[in-house]
Amino acid sequence: MTRPGDQISGFGLGLRPQHFSDVLAAPQPASGGDGSGVDWFEIISENFMAVGGRPMANLMAVRECYPMAMHGVSLSIGGPDPLDRDYLLSLKDLADRIEPAVISDHLCWTGAHGINLHDLLPLPLTEETLDHVAARVREVQDVLGRRIALENASTYVTFTADCLTEWDFLAELTRRADCDLLLDVNNVYVSAFNHGFDAETYLAGIPAERVKQIHLAGHENNGDHIVDTHDAPVADAVWELYRKAVCRFGAVPTMIERDADIPPFADLVAELAMARRLAAEATGGAAA
Amino acid sequence: MTGDLTTVQDLFQSRLLAGDETVRAHLTAGGPHLGVYDHAYLARLREVMGEDFPALHTLLGDEEFDDAVTGYLADHPSTERSVRWLGRSFAGWLRTTSPWSDLPMAGDMAAFEWGLGLAFDAPDADVLTGEVLAATPPEAWPLLIFDFHPAVNTFVLTHDVADFQQAVTREDDPDAAPEAISPGPETWAAWRDGDSLRVQFRPLSGDEAVGLSLARDGKTFQEICEALARSSGPVAADQGDAALRAAGMLQGWIQAGWIVGVSAEGMSWA
Ligand SMILES: [Fe+2]
Repeated sequence: MTRPGDQISGFGLGLRPQHFSDVLAAPQPASGGDGSGVDWFEIISENFMAVGGRPMANLMAVRECYPMAMHGVSLSIGGPDPLDRDYLLSLKDLADRIEPAVISDHLCWTGAHGINLHDLLPLPLTEETLDHVAARVREVQDVLGRRIALENASTYVTFTADCLTEWDFLAELTRRADCDLLLDVNNVYVSAFNHGFDAETYLAGIPAERVKQIHLAGHENNGDHIVDTHDAPVADAVWELYRKAVCRFGAVPTMIERDADIPPFADLVAELAMARRLAAEATGGAAA
Repeated sequence: MTGDLTTVQDLFQSRLLAGDETVRAHLTAGGPHLGVYDHAYLARLREVMGEDFPALHTLLGDEEFDDAVTGYLADHPSTERSVRWLGRSFAGWLRTTSPWSDLPMAGDMAAFEWGLGLAFDAPDADVLTGEVLAATPPEAWPLLIFDFHPAVNTFVLTHDVADFQQAVTREDDPDAAPEAISPGPETWAAWRDGDSLRVQFRPLSGDEAVGLSLARDGKTFQEICEALARSSGPVAADQGDAALRAAGMLQGWIQAGWIVGVSAEGMSWA
């Protein structure tokens, strides 16, 4: 079997250690005529940087059968500390081994003064932030020798200093930094609910040609606010927004993220079939 | 970078680490849902610590484990890119912070679980075979220094926590609390079997602990032999005997896949 190439299309899942044995037991990308299965996997980059042993052996075995995307959580692209050169080189090392279709991280910051808070923290949406983030995206892309995709994170606060909408901020960032986007449809829904903006206006403001990957995930509705928990199936309202996203962006590689209360692998594959169905409907049967 | 962005980020971080409410002045409507970030920060890190130290969790019980983790995280905000390294200083913290310092088996368990974790996922490296030593010219031997596989690591225990930890790993109930090691602290090694990739561990004799520590510090074979001769005491301070013992240890290390390189300064051989 030859190793799949470095492009993704169709429908993927986040690769979680609990599912290695299931994935390796039936290691064929199965987006055949019956429209089931998994076409590609996304890994959390930090989990495999400077790592060997069983975790790396499993990862490489999966990579022999599936194309992949790499998703980071600690680039801190909006953070105040200088970019961590060692981190970037280690990320590049991993990318050289994995040959991912997409390398992504989040529009956020994760800590200051050398401290990592291990959370995706919100940024004031200002010209100052835009300048800062755009310059750093260019620096990252210079080290990696390729574009990165930035993901919209769910947010629970906004800043009095904000002078741009998140969609205008992202659109302008892609122009200034020449970067791509990873659109998390659940996060659009969550932030729209939390801050009272219109999710469809958000989608309309995102430059379609920059969207290289879509995330879907479950959330927790607490009545007056929604938290992006990744511990439940995708909500109905998010499926509906996804349908609209496919109408706008076309057949973008789409995946489901699940990070807590992780169900059996087959359940996630079944949930992924829903994305396949909706995307096929929205594109008149021409989904990737 | 200067300006408002760093100011707001400093305040945001102070809120998460120290409960400073000043940042609210910069948030729309005072940030009614700011608390979501507090919860995410602590819950996430507690979960990671629970995954990395399951046997310590069992040993201490929910409440005490949670107290220990909370105290540790307050004293050691993460400076690591990956949560993989969050617990790096936990064993040392338990050993030096009251009331955990009065319960040495807690620090021992943390050290043991951390050492096994290191062996589990340390980077890969190609190990040396015995043939390399056979091909080493005799004049190179005194100058030999050794590179170890990244998975090889050592830690000092005052309690034999292995059976307890292994029971927790098998999801069995441990039979009994770990017992104190007699006569005193003992150095253990953990490593990874190169074929099965399974984690291995064993206690080291006093001699081997000394030899391994020196070898990992980049000391030469001759320096290791001299230290072994000294450590056997005034009676058997015999260089030849020490060299035999050192060579025996080295053989064992190579067989176990601990060594990835040998070299001698200024010399090369095929
Ligand atoms: Fe996401």
